[in-house]
Amino acid sequence: MNPQTNLSNTVILAENLGKAVTTSEGTLQILSAINLTIQSGESIAIVGESGSGKSTLIGLLAGLDTPTSGTIHLNGELLTAMDEDGRAAIRNQAIGFVFQSFQLLQGLTALENVMLPLELSGNKQAKASAEALLERVGLAHRLHHTPKQLSGGEQQRVALARAFVTRPAILFADEPTGNLDRKTGAHIIDLLFELNQENNTTLVLVTHDHGLATRCQRTIELAAGGML
Amino acid sequence: MKRFNLALRMLWRDRRSGELTLLLAALIIAVTSSSAIALFSDRLQRTMTMQTAEFLAADLVIATAHPIPENWLAKAQTLPLTQARTVEFSSVLMEHDELLLASIKAVSPGYPLRGQLKTATQNYASETISHQGPQPGTVWVEKRVLSALKLALGDKLTVGEKAFTVTRLLTYEPDKQGDFYSFSPRVMMNDADLAATQVIQPGSHVHYFFQFIGANDALAEFKQWLKPQLTPAQRIMDIHDDRPELGSALDRAQRYLGLSSILVIVIAGVAIAMTARRYSERHFDNIALLRCLGCKQNEMLWLYGSQFIVLGLLGSAVGCLLGWFAQFGLFLLLKDLLPQTVAKPGLLALLFGFVIGLAMLLGFALPPLLRLKHVSPLRVLRRELAPVPVSGWLVYGLALGIVGVLVWQYTDDLKMTATLLVSGLLSVLVLGILVYGVLGLIRKLLPFMHLGWRFGLQGLTRNRRGSVSQIVAFSMTLVAMILSFTVRNDLLNDWQQQLPANAPNQFALNIFPEQLADFQQELQQQAIVGSRFYPVVRGRLIAVNNTPVQKIVSKDSQGESATHRELSLTWTEQLPDGNKIVTGDWWTDKRTNLVSVEQKLADNLKIKLGDELDFTVGSQPLKAKVASIRALRWDSMKPNFYMVFSPGTLAQFPSTYLTSFYLPKEQKNILNGLVKQFPNLTVLEVDAILQQFKTILLQLTQAINYLLYFALLAGFTVLFAAVYASLDTRIHESALMRTLGANRRLLTTAHLIEFGSLGFIAGILAVVMAEAITYALYTRVMLMDYHPNAYLWLIVPTVGSLCVGLGGWWGLRDVLDKAPLKVLREL
Repeated sequence: MNPQTNLSNTVILAENLGKAVTTSEGTLQILSAINLTIQSGESIAIVGESGSGKSTLIGLLAGLDTPTSGTIHLNGELLTAMDEDGRAAIRNQAIGFVFQSFQLLQGLTALENVMLPLELSGNKQAKASAEALLERVGLAHRLHHTPKQLSGGEQQRVALARAFVTRPAILFADEPTGNLDRKTGAHIIDLLFELNQENNTTLVLVTHDHGLATRCQRTIELAAGGML
Repeated sequence: MKRFNLALRMLWRDRRSGELTLLLAALIIAVTSSSAIALFSDRLQRTMTMQTAEFLAADLVIATAHPIPENWLAKAQTLPLTQARTVEFSSVLMEHDELLLASIKAVSPGYPLRGQLKTATQNYASETISHQGPQPGTVWVEKRVLSALKLALGDKLTVGEKAFTVTRLLTYEPDKQGDFYSFSPRVMMNDADLAATQVIQPGSHVHYFFQFIGANDALAEFKQWLKPQLTPAQRIMDIHDDRPELGSALDRAQRYLGLSSILVIVIAGVAIAMTARRYSERHFDNIALLRCLGCKQNEMLWLYGSQFIVLGLLGSAVGCLLGWFAQFGLFLLLKDLLPQTVAKPGLLALLFGFVIGLAMLLGFALPPLLRLKHVSPLRVLRRELAPVPVSGWLVYGLALGIVGVLVWQYTDDLKMTATLLVSGLLSVLVLGILVYGVLGLIRKLLPFMHLGWRFGLQGLTRNRRGSVSQIVAFSMTLVAMILSFTVRNDLLNDWQQQLPANAPNQFALNIFPEQLADFQQELQQQAIVGSRFYPVVRGRLIAVNNTPVQKIVSKDSQGESATHRELSLTWTEQLPDGNKIVTGDWWTDKRTNLVSVEQKLADNLKIKLGDELDFTVGSQPLKAKVASIRALRWDSMKPNFYMVFSPGTLAQFPSTYLTSFYLPKEQKNILNGLVKQFPNLTVLEVDAILQQFKTILLQLTQAINYLLYFALLAGFTVLFAAVYASLDTRIHESALMRTLGANRRLLTTAHLIEFGSLGFIAGILAVVMAEAITYALYTRVMLMDYHPNAYLWLIVPTVGSLCVGLGGWWGLRDVLDKAPLKVLREL
């Protein structure tokens, strides 16, 4: 199959994906036989109980880890054939991340955190773009604060700005409201969907929250490492 | 016991954590170096003690520069004590146109009263034991005398005016003073021949040893009777009070080695403190849980404390074992300075290694461990609840206390200990402030840097306290190494370079007054230009303004060495060449009993203008008032004096003359003629002295550097301790950076930049500190010209950044291997 011709509108194609880890008690199968196609601009929610393999799945799709079986095509390129540096380049160019625990670099200010992905790709307009996006998420007055000086909601807004600053084709969000109170969480989700629409980004969202899942176009449910 | 087993199991599970391995490594390094020193010192001391009975060759000895009154000998005879006498002096020997400065010893019948002499007839093949010295008319010599003067056994050897037959090779004498500087080979003759040599005249530099043996009561009575009659120039040595002393330089070497090992202990201690801290912080969660499960505070402390005791014992045992091997290295490096046979290593000295190991844990690891006691069980619910840090006083006080006790043990001088501790603390403080400033500056410049540099240097500025510890530890080690290297080289090179081309290279001593005119004429005939001739009277400084000098001097100072021996006293009408009056005036009238004192000695003994000084010359007292203080260059190669008197002051004492002159190499044979004509003359060749000085200095600095390598190793444990302390943050940040698209090269570059810069800063600061110390040392103490060392500025930072850069990169090599997802999910 030639993905370049047949899958022109497909951003993610996972075929027969599996992940197993070796423990002292033998091999543990976390994911098996996952087949998944995600089209450009689509928003997908991955739901399931704790331990069902949701985070492992988006880790594999985003190239943060390697599967033990199967293949992944991302933006037409065979992700599973790449080495770590190759995957890093893809992540920098095409992927944005939002994590449950924000994952900001503690030593950097809000502005520097947002500038970072652009700097990694050698973008000369890093500062201007980062400032603009921080203003967009309502943090123009917090540019030079470090994560410790920001509230949880503000940290997640910085993380959103960082995720969108490279105008990624795909955004992976892993329980983005898990560490926030209900009201702040709702506000962050609104912002996430707004930015998603403005940038026409493909969204892959892992959540426990079925209410949140319904805001996505499609829901995939995982149980015991397989798709229902 | 159950708890102890649990502690052991927990320790075993924790072995993979890294910080315990590091703690153990730091402990082993410190214990290795200190037990090596302990074993080394113990063996030397026991060697000396073993020889105590023989060392004096008698039970009681009166050491003096002049013969003792007849009635003393008569008293000894009535007690009754058996007596003998030895007379030692230096003399230049000449045979077959070869010159040799030898140490002559004339021994009376009965010598040695204790111990024995060993001689051989050829090449040490078969040693014969003798209980008396050579017969009149014969001499025994050390093998070196034969080779230097091209002689064989049976040949004639002339000492002064008398010719002797060389009958045996002297291989051992019990009472040879094993001093660093006694390089002159021995010639032993019979006391009955002494007068015939005509070498000893009033004013000659001679050591007399009057030796006695007898019943303990008689000895005690004799000693009691003698004591009030002794002059400051006379000293009683006996087997009860006088253990043999190490040569002064060997003694000093031992002390410097001890102090170098303290540097190792301090640096390794920093690593132990850092790893213990991380260890305790990493266990807060476990402890909170154990406390929830019902463990009491003290049980908790015992559980973790006993793990550290086990570690301490293990580290000390391994360190002692390695120290056992390391001490052989020290003996090898210093072999030329040590006695030929050395006592076997003592097991008891190894105990010291154990004490050091446990004391270090107490001083450096206890404070972080004490925190564990205060972990709240509520932490299981609220993870941010951390126990209050232990008081800074306890942390630093304990460490400083332990280091202080160790320094005191090596210096045996409270004042010196305090000085070393305060100057050490000040150096660390100054270095710390400098490092803090440099890191602050880097932090300000970060936004203007390229990404790799920014991330690298951010690693340095993130945990400023950790970075300061690492940089200071490396800097201190490098400073010590630079100092030991440059001072040695500069002393040797600068001294030789600064000498004018035709600076005097020969010293002629012991010229009798009646020979002066002939000697001067002889020099003139040979067209030899010399410096002035100075009369010399041997005397001892005993008091300043009626305070005994021993109460004024500090240990190891110039003052101490000047007051422990006889000084060469002179008088002159004109200020000696190259001398400069600093305070007071040079005498212009005919007043006697005035003295001009050399500046450094005056500073050392706190002598001021107008002070009254007491001397003894022979057994006669002499008083003089300080009229001026003089500055002079000791390396000018001209006769220099601590004490110069106004003419007439020393007139009543016997004197000899000394001068220095330059003799080109091709004219060296002139010396032969001189020695032949003036048999009592002592000629010192400066080149040979310089060579000896160089050998001593090289061996000493090599031995010190040997220990500084341990300090360097300890520096790396601090580096790794700091790396481990920040490992979690680093792994997290690396994973995050890789998630955002950073490649391995960028991260590796950042790590290399971080640690390379750390080594570079440490190197630069070490050079700055070392240059500042050398500058102060040269301009204030040694009065040498100071030149900055351009190559140090280049080499030290480069080597520093390379070594530390690679070390840091090695410590973090696993960080990049973890899958980003795994790391991010762990948090």
